[in-house]
Amino acid sequence: MAAGAAELRTLWRRIDSVRSTQKITHAMELIAASRITRAREAVEAARPYAVMITRVMRDLATEATVGDHPLLSEHEELRRIGVVVISGDRGLAGAYNANILRRADRLVEQEEQAGREVRRYVVGRKAQQTYSYQGRDIAQYWTGVTDRPRYADAAEIAERIIADYSAGEVDRVWVCFTNFRSALRQVPSVLQLLPVRERELSGGEGYAPEYLFEPSPRTLLEQLVPRYVEHRMYAALLESSASEHASRQRAMSNATDNAGELIEDLTREANAARQAAITTEISEIVSGAEALSSG
Amino acid sequence: MAEATFQVDVVSAERELFSGDSTGVYARGVEGDIGLLPRHQPALVLLGHAPVRIKRPDGDQVRIAVHHGFLECRGDELTVLADLAELAVEIDVERARAARARAVRQLEQASTDQEAERARAALSRAELRLGLVKAEQDA
Repeated sequence: MAAGAAELRTLWRRIDSVRSTQKITHAMELIAASRITRAREAVEAARPYAVMITRVMRDLATEATVGDHPLLSEHEELRRIGVVVISGDRGLAGAYNANILRRADRLVEQEEQAGREVRRYVVGRKAQQTYSYQGRDIAQYWTGVTDRPRYADAAEIAERIIADYSAGEVDRVWVCFTNFRSALRQVPSVLQLLPVRERELSGGEGYAPEYLFEPSPRTLLEQLVPRYVEHRMYAALLESSASEHASRQRAMSNATDNAGELIEDLTREANAARQAAITTEISEIVSGAEALSSG
Repeated sequence: MAEATFQVDVVSAERELFSGDSTGVYARGVEGDIGLLPRHQPALVLLGHAPVRIKRPDGDQVRIAVHHGFLECRGDELTVLADLAELAVEIDVERARAARARAVRQLEQASTDQEAERARAALSRAELRLGLVKAEQDA
């Protein structure tokens, strides 16, 4: 009888513990859901700027000689490749971090097989931890950015990368980020940040001859190209951030469901144990009475 | 006849700050001040750290601090694009004052050109903000 009561207590304790975990995962799910909304609003809010800067760049490119802008021209030899990896700062986001790291590894492998050296730039604590654990070099890392990216963060990252590219430290720069297709689908993706690809600049309509430029189209373009690169970095950060929150929401929603199932199973087990304890007790009383009356 | 107006949009990388009709836009380009009225010659102008002033048809004025940006005018439509932009009414005066004090200190202590450059940029941002708030209050 004592054994039954102890088993019952253990079961109730486990149920309590699972229930409090469930409360936490449920809270995280709700937080992630609200962050997705915010992150998607940020993506939407950035769109008018994206449309405008792209159009103006294209139009200007038809006006000025594009080829010799340092950020638009390919380096003759590809020796060192810059890879920017955007991961999250925290885990508990399903396979989000693992997926983007795997995508980055594949890219790095391709580049290394082609005989090129790779230099890593890392956004997010998770990727930084993974690479330090693996003993890989990191040129620079930024943390505290991906939860809610600001333009200033993107500008800072872009500034460093542009500086390295201009100094010839790297000859091409890829960005590994997670594309937010929908709440259910996030795709690890790669984009070429530098040099800015020519096809991104083609298709401009150019300007009517009466246009007033202040300063010259060439200088304007020189000023605009870094802005454009910053903007692409910003967009990649926003996409990744929305993806991370969506992944976390899904992971936490699953965890909450699992906890619910576990609570159900454990409750059933606890009820059976309680029932068994009562049965044992009754049969002990009955057999005790029996022994007395027959004696 | 009512005054002519044109559509003006101010867009920063993070959000849209202003969208509406205007009777005139005044800004400071890197080569000097510029004022644009409806039906102005099409233009593309690079802006420095400077306030942009937008006149509304009802006589009100909207002031916006623009940090690095440019302005494109195509006749009946004018767009200001900025890396960072703030509406004058949204500027936190205390924070801007603190930022200016910090920038002045950093400028004095700067040991490298890069540090000095950063401090100068921060200083000009803070001064633009404060100047704009003052203009808003005077108006």
